[in-house]
Amino acid sequence: MEYKLIKLEKIQDFINALIASGKQVLAPKQKKEKVFFSLVGSFDEIAMDYIQTAFSAKSAVFPKCEELYTFEKNGKDTILHNPPAPENDTIVFGMRPCDGAAFDYLTTFFLKENPDYHFKMRYDKTIFVGLTCSSGDEFCFCTSVGISPSDTRGSDLMLTKTENGYYMEIITEKGKKLVEQFSNFFEQTEQIDKTKYTANIQKRFDSSALKEKISGAFNWERWEETSLPCFGCGTCAFSCPTCTCFDIQDEANLVGGARYRIWDTCALGIFTKHASGHNPREKQSERWRNRILHKFLYTDEQFGTLSCVGCGRCIRNCPAELSIIEQVNAIMEG
Amino acid sequence: MENMYLPYRMYIEKITEEAPLVRTYRLKFKDPADEEKFSFKAGQFGEYSIFGEGESTFCIASSPTRKGYIECTFRVAGRVTKALANCEEGDEIGFRGPYGNTFPIDDWKGKNLLFIAGGIGLPPLRCVIWNCLDLRENYRDVTILYGARSVQDLVYKHELEEWNNRPDVNLFTTVDPGGETPDWKGKVGFVPTILKEISPSSENTIAAVCGPPIMIKLTLPVLFELGFKEENIFTTLENRMKCGIGKCGHCAVGPYYVCKDGPVITYKELKELPQEY
Repeated sequence: MEYKLIKLEKIQDFINALIASGKQVLAPKQKKEKVFFSLVGSFDEIAMDYIQTAFSAKSAVFPKCEELYTFEKNGKDTILHNPPAPENDTIVFGMRPCDGAAFDYLTTFFLKENPDYHFKMRYDKTIFVGLTCSSGDEFCFCTSVGISPSDTRGSDLMLTKTENGYYMEIITEKGKKLVEQFSNFFEQTEQIDKTKYTANIQKRFDSSALKEKISGAFNWERWEETSLPCFGCGTCAFSCPTCTCFDIQDEANLVGGARYRIWDTCALGIFTKHASGHNPREKQSERWRNRILHKFLYTDEQFGTLSCVGCGRCIRNCPAELSIIEQVNAIMEG
Repeated sequence: MENMYLPYRMYIEKITEEAPLVRTYRLKFKDPADEEKFSFKAGQFGEYSIFGEGESTFCIASSPTRKGYIECTFRVAGRVTKALANCEEGDEIGFRGPYGNTFPIDDWKGKNLLFIAGGIGLPPLRCVIWNCLDLRENYRDVTILYGARSVQDLVYKHELEEWNNRPDVNLFTTVDPGGETPDWKGKVGFVPTILKEISPSSENTIAAVCGPPIMIKLTLPVLFELGFKEENIFTTLENRMKCGIGKCGHCAVGPYYVCKDGPVITYKELKELPQEY
């Protein structure tokens, strides 16, 4: 691996040069009391000291709502058009290692079997510049699910703030190309021990012990009790970096329209409801159980990986104050 | 890379009114190149759509041995099926597919076949029934038990007559008590009761069952009583579905996706799944 250093005073020039070159920069931006990934027009708009964005970076590649294709009506015929591919690169800047690890999962999910055209066209034009965590909060639990605050999985470049500036690891070919294109902002440097600069995130549960316990948890008798506060708003899923479920909806007028995919979630009752009225997951507790088992059991069986990265967003954002950490610990207790 | 959501453009060649609110559409490809590359196997399904209204999931109800077209049978239930029902012959329909796994009819060679269907559960079996009848020499006895709520709810009435007249098919039709008409010549009674009455042998026999959940639930114990093994009982699952290719998450039953791991499943496999179907 190659290592570079961006001096503190140069980071601003680097970002502004990226923007000037026509690349879209999606970076954490303060909006009232929360931080969101937003397109920025200059470095000054970026919040460099934040713990976690309210929503994950996944929407850079898997947007909330996107066209699957558009159609034009022409008498008794319909003409179909693929959505246009993005023209310019998008740089996701300042993404936390948990979100990076989420992309590791998302690329497996979307590209391995039946590769997804829409995900791929955005993913190929996106470069992920991660930022290791210098601090965490009581909702962070990446270390409990096998991820660390300096994890490089899913990132093309990874920055760590040091006393000399930003230490940069060049992880992928994509990252290397970007560095070569903007080489005048970087200096050569040696490998350093990042742990000196990264947060110590406490382990909240043991995922290998959980693995043993959760395989038989479908019939656990406490699902109803532990999910009682959940009213099925779906905020957990919409802010989750690994949730991938979507709905397909049309919008059209007399001359044409589009077929869209829109984020959806198993938290909602209608998600599984048949046209006949029959609903395989009738109760909220059954939907909550599906969410937990999907994260910690089902994707492990499908892809050999958990689909929770410990970002803590579902806990921070839950209006009913439900905690996935407490839920997992309750399962461990039996 | 291919945009898997782009449908084939098809047109309705023929509409058959099957029962109240139940219709069969025969669809043909608009583009001969699409017809050329398209193939499917018994048990598979697709996403049928009206542009501007949305997509609906139905099995392919015609047999792969009948080339050049596909058929679907649907009951009007929601926004998309309502829009589909407003179509006329010649109108355009979008179709994506085929998706899902298939009935292993090659493994069934030399066996007796027992098909049990209830109501709108016959269309998914009609595909495999015709597929096997078109390769009749491969199979031994073919028995079909079909029940509906009432005489008017029976679908494929003309084909039931055809099967009834064939010496190489044992057909039993039944309607729920109270659903018969004065000239009804079939049986009266629920499917599980009639199955018990006709008691087909389980020896060297495959059973394929499709119908409402309550019918399946009450039919299974009768099949076990007759000595059918769990691995020789097939059904085809349905769950709410959007993408059909294992991405949207709607049809997932635990780690099993009805759309790509199913819809065809043996009872032996089914009982291992969480009961979320």
